[in-house]
Amino acid sequence: MNPRGSLLSLPGVPPLLSLAALLVLWQLAARLAGIEGLPSATRVIAALPAIVFNPGSLIEIGASLGRMAIGFLIALLVAIPTGLVMGRSRAVAGFLNPLLALIYPVPKAALMPVIMLWFGVGDFSKMLVIFLGVSLPLVFHSYAGARAVDEKLVWSAMAMGMPAHRRVFAIILPSALPEVMLGCRVGIAMALIVMVSSEMIARQSGVGNLLFNSLDMAQYDTVYATIIVIGAIGFALDALFETVRRRLTFWAEVREETVVGTG
Amino acid sequence: MTLQAHSRSPAAVAGMLLQPLRFALMHLYPVALLLAAWEASVAAGLVKKILLPAPSAVFARLFELLQTAAFLDHIAQTLVRLFAGLGIATALGLAVGLAAANSRIGGRMLEPLVRILAPIPKIALYPALILILGFEHASKIALVAADAVFPILFATYHGARMVERKLLWSARAAGTSPAACVYKIVLPAALPSILTGFRIALVISCVVVFLAEMISSTDGLGHLLIRAARSFRTVDMFVPLVTISLLGLLLNALVAAGRRQLLAGYGEAQ
Repeated sequence: MNPRGSLLSLPGVPPLLSLAALLVLWQLAARLAGIEGLPSATRVIAALPAIVFNPGSLIEIGASLGRMAIGFLIALLVAIPTGLVMGRSRAVAGFLNPLLALIYPVPKAALMPVIMLWFGVGDFSKMLVIFLGVSLPLVFHSYAGARAVDEKLVWSAMAMGMPAHRRVFAIILPSALPEVMLGCRVGIAMALIVMVSSEMIARQSGVGNLLFNSLDMAQYDTVYATIIVIGAIGFALDALFETVRRRLTFWAEVREETVVGTG
Repeated sequence: MTLQAHSRSPAAVAGMLLQPLRFALMHLYPVALLLAAWEASVAAGLVKKILLPAPSAVFARLFELLQTAAFLDHIAQTLVRLFAGLGIATALGLAVGLAAANSRIGGRMLEPLVRILAPIPKIALYPALILILGFEHASKIALVAADAVFPILFATYHGARMVERKLLWSARAAGTSPAACVYKIVLPAALPSILTGFRIALVISCVVVFLAEMISSTDGLGHLLIRAARSFRTVDMFVPLVTISLLGLLLNALVAAGRRQLLAGYGEAQ
């Protein structure tokens, strides 16, 4: 193999190359367009340290991520058991499926004004909207996972007298785990989307508010730098979770999955 | 045809007629139950009407508004942005997905780029799009396109990659040009996957266009929600939410029906 080929096949190299190409394209576009609203890539990168090392914006970002984590964790606790029960009980699935299909096209972040009317502008509303956004994909994937459990395994366990609560942890949960983990991956993407968009709508605090504040103050470099920070958070969370997922479900067939959230 | 129908027993015919009714009952009773519980709890005064209006009030207001030109105009604005963005996303997703699947260099270049761009919350790009494209239609259409393109691109890429190589080789050996192969083999074979991706993209588009209109707009359904929220008109807050959700359900059902029609000959491929 020639050296160029081997360099390209290194794990981190192709993404870095694409990133570099993206930055070059951006730089060229900024030069060509020559508008104030599109600062050059170099200027925006120069503005990055001002955000990353500014305690004020760091606290905002940290608070946003904290709310996101809590909303996500509560969704895990509620949505995974719900999905698993749906997968094991036809009656429950028959009851919940039409309701979930009904909620599916509702823009979750758009519920923010209604939720703020009910629960005020505090952290609870922000966590609730993230919880709502994350729950749906988690329920769907857990449901699919629990439905795909090999019935023969369940029957054998029953025949050998394994009690129901043991069957859940010894058979159903492990069998459904690969699918549940895919749901978690979609859920993480959703959590970030809902967090940013609800903060952009509520304009109270957090990263989304940071974006529009700098837009209003015409600090265009900061707008773009904040977008890069959010993008980096999204990429890092996804990459981090993927390593965990591969470790936990290494035995499962690799399934390529489109990670898309519906806001 | 008529003979067959005549030969069926009356009981079987009755069963056929009852089938859709039973299907509807089985699938709609939870929804009906939910609406009834909601209506009853508002009527009984368990929740304040100002915080949660009864579904009957919301739907009455929706029907009332549907007869006004202004409301229909807001819906039209939303739909224009929705379909323009979705159209761009479909064209782009198909083109890039097919190109990446059919050339090794294309796939190599594209995969890392998509890996970087896909997990980024596209809504965060909205301020940048406003700066570049302005506050009007263009920035919202671009945001919808940016969000909807990935499911279509992924679906096209994976669908086109699953095409049986032998089919392509036979077609090429029989003298079909590479371009004709795309139309005659790759696209039809990838169609089930592409249509699945399109359905996801459609719902995403509905959501994103609504969010963009909520964040900055002077018209459209999303703007109506924000306007109602500013003056605490709760019924008017629920009307745009219900409208966009019904639009999403309706469009989704239309695509699902179209998909069944298009894939009628595909056997178990769906």
